[in-house]
Amino acid sequence: MLGRSASKLLQYALVVWVAVTLNFALPHLAPGDPVDYLYGGDTGDLTPAQLEQIRAGYGLDASVPEQYLAFWTNLAGGDLGTSVALNRPVVDVLLERLPWTLALVGTGIVASTVLGTLLGALAAWRRGSRSAAALVSGVLVLDAMPSFWVGMILIAVFSVTLGWFPSYGATTIDATGAAWLAEVATRMALPVATITLATLGAFFLLTRAAMVTVLDEPFVRHAHAKGLTGRQVALGHALRTALLPVYTNITLAAGALLSGAVVVETVFAYPGLGRLIFEAVVVRDYPLLQGAFLLVTVGIIGANLVADLTYPLLDPRVRQGRAALT
Amino acid sequence: MNRRLLPLLLAATIAGAACSADGDAAAPVDGPASADRLTIALPEARGPLNLFAGSDEAVAELVYDKLLAPSPYVEEPRPWLATEVRFVDPTTWEADLRDDVVWHDGEPFTAEDVVFSIAYFAQAPTGRWTHHVSDVPTFDASLVDSDTVRFTCAFACPELGTVTLADLPIVPEHVWAQVPPEDAKEVRDLPVGTGPYRLVDFDPVTGYRFEANTGYFAGEPTVRELVMPVIEDPSATFTALRSGQIDAALAPVSPELIAEFSAPGSPVQLVRTAPFQFPELRLNFRNAPFDDPDFRRAISRAVDRAEMLDTVFLGQGRPADKGYPHPDAPFANPELSTPYDPDEARAILDGLGLVDIDGDGVREGPGGPLRYEILANGGQPIDMRAAELVAEDLSAVGVAATAVPLDAGTLAERSTERDFDLVIGTITAHGVADPTQFIMSHRSGYLWEHPEIPYPEFDALFRQWQASTTIEDRLAALDDIQAMFNDQPTSVPLYYPDEYYAFRPDRYAGWAESPGFGIVHKWSLLPADVVRGANAVVAGD
Repeated sequence: MLGRSASKLLQYALVVWVAVTLNFALPHLAPGDPVDYLYGGDTGDLTPAQLEQIRAGYGLDASVPEQYLAFWTNLAGGDLGTSVALNRPVVDVLLERLPWTLALVGTGIVASTVLGTLLGALAAWRRGSRSAAALVSGVLVLDAMPSFWVGMILIAVFSVTLGWFPSYGATTIDATGAAWLAEVATRMALPVATITLATLGAFFLLTRAAMVTVLDEPFVRHAHAKGLTGRQVALGHALRTALLPVYTNITLAAGALLSGAVVVETVFAYPGLGRLIFEAVVVRDYPLLQGAFLLVTVGIIGANLVADLTYPLLDPRVRQGRAALT
Repeated sequence: MNRRLLPLLLAATIAGAACSADGDAAAPVDGPASADRLTIALPEARGPLNLFAGSDEAVAELVYDKLLAPSPYVEEPRPWLATEVRFVDPTTWEADLRDDVVWHDGEPFTAEDVVFSIAYFAQAPTGRWTHHVSDVPTFDASLVDSDTVRFTCAFACPELGTVTLADLPIVPEHVWAQVPPEDAKEVRDLPVGTGPYRLVDFDPVTGYRFEANTGYFAGEPTVRELVMPVIEDPSATFTALRSGQIDAALAPVSPELIAEFSAPGSPVQLVRTAPFQFPELRLNFRNAPFDDPDFRRAISRAVDRAEMLDTVFLGQGRPADKGYPHPDAPFANPELSTPYDPDEARAILDGLGLVDIDGDGVREGPGGPLRYEILANGGQPIDMRAAELVAEDLSAVGVAATAVPLDAGTLAERSTERDFDLVIGTITAHGVADPTQFIMSHRSGYLWEHPEIPYPEFDALFRQWQASTTIEDRLAALDDIQAMFNDQPTSVPLYYPDEYYAFRPDRYAGWAESPGFGIVHKWSLLPADVVRGANAVVAGD
């Protein structure tokens, strides 16, 4: 088991190395002089001496292997360069936005997972009934709605009409302590609700489909025959088994978590990574984009690694299969 | 005042502290004239107001002051940090300074700060104010005595008082002397100014917080605290305004919201402004046949400005039939005329030998058929519609053009690298209402690249402009340059828009337009008599 985990880690380390190396290569692969890519300004008017100075500043006057080594050294020291547009270290900018994205998208994914899974299980359990049909129809309608539209409706109702929640931002500049927590919670409510409503469809449908299959399995009939209550059978036996594909979906969603939710962050003026990446694209802030892509790539690879390592813990068949192979 | 009276004004001394007058120029609507706290949305966070790194001018001027106020965009800037600004001779000006001004950190404002600021702007990396001290004009500052500064120009500078000194913010020597000029852009400390507000907190995520400078020399601000969150999306901004979460917005209102906000019972009120900015069609003077003055004139004549205004901006503004610069700019030549005349455009093109040989409706030239792309920001529907209309207008005179949508990054890159034939953009107040920038734009590559690229017509006029020693002669030279430019433009204004700014009158009603700055600026936040004395706002309609 440990040997297999080590092998997995090695494979993922290789993938990370390739991703980081590609990240290093981006400025060199882009058309033209890498200094144009990194400098972000018009280098056409610079004198050769100024150009050389800038080139030296970015370490582009060294050989490619030396640059590659320096790139890894800087990376190890947490140096991802300087944002051209913001004139600040890329790491600072990313770390500034990262907590907000983790909180927003993370909470949204957790909420949509819990809600989608429970509703999906309920719809499967009551399959054939009118309430189940209504539930499926309702979730499909929700799933078909674009997230920006869901967000705008929530704003119109809960912010403009009822005045219950703010419609923009993550907090206010002068909030501290409990007031800060309250600000964060109330300002997160509508965007989290939007992400939840916009993404619960996938969890709902996955759970329902898996549950419907599982409910016909002999072990479920056996559980009924033992005299267990419907709730015990549904939650303790059927849902537990049906959760495996849902877990896969969770890890996939978690992998994309770091890339933020551009649309929702835009509608709610939320200061997350998705919006940051969008802004970096608009102003061609390549160093910032490089840093963001690196973060997202590592996030996705990390989520896949976690899924790979934890799946056997959830599915005895995988454990047994691997044991049989060894 | 007619701009022709400016020489008289400048021949005399620009003197006197701000005069006091009763009135409501800064309070055009009913509502509170003061407030404890206002929340004003900004469309972007541009750092802690480092003047050398780039910042929104209206916001930065909450913190900083200039020798004259409010800006070069009015005909009569008044002494502000100065008590008197004197025209000594064509290359020399002097300014007497106030002795009751204190920097936000408690240090006294001195003449040394002024001398230092001029030198520092010249040494710092190229930025918004560089040309004012190192090209148009080129000048140094020196101490006459502890309260007086002398400005000495390399060539005649009759507009130094009304333009340059009304545009350059003054920074504290005791702060910036610690920063090597080459590192000026890197500073991220909170700024120290003399202005009516102190920036007490900045966070890239949550925005800005200002507190009133209660000891401000011109009078205590009318609002005690300003909070400025960053809301990039216009829709989110005006939703927050509609629901009362914010009290005003720095950005103008989207055209489609004007009817809603103007409706009776709306909790939001509008101020209509005539901003010093306009959308323009830029012609790449480096590429043939756009390097030909007659061809550029033909393009200008082919654009139907009235239709452009009606279709693209729903008639909210004026047709751009008075060319470049903005017709309301204090130095604008009132005789300028850039009419829509497709027949003249066709005649010019015929005269250039650019005729449709193969009968496909597109003229041919030495380089083949006249087919061009008009680049525009695909994320801005108004720009795209303008590009499509220009394409239709050019097609009517036998020039095939296609509107090409680009993302903002690509568009900026291709504009900077001059990788275009035609491009739709927007030029703002500094470009179209500042006479020295108008000259500078001919030297910087924006309107031309003088003297690197030959421009014989401009050469003679530029020398005439440079040699003029009175404001009257300088304005006359500027008139000639404007006439010449609009006869062979490299930028064709498409329309002069009106803009609407929105606010909640139940929270604060002191908003007023300051030319070139919308309604969110320090002049909306100072007592009405002070504002009137500074000639800083346009009286409400």
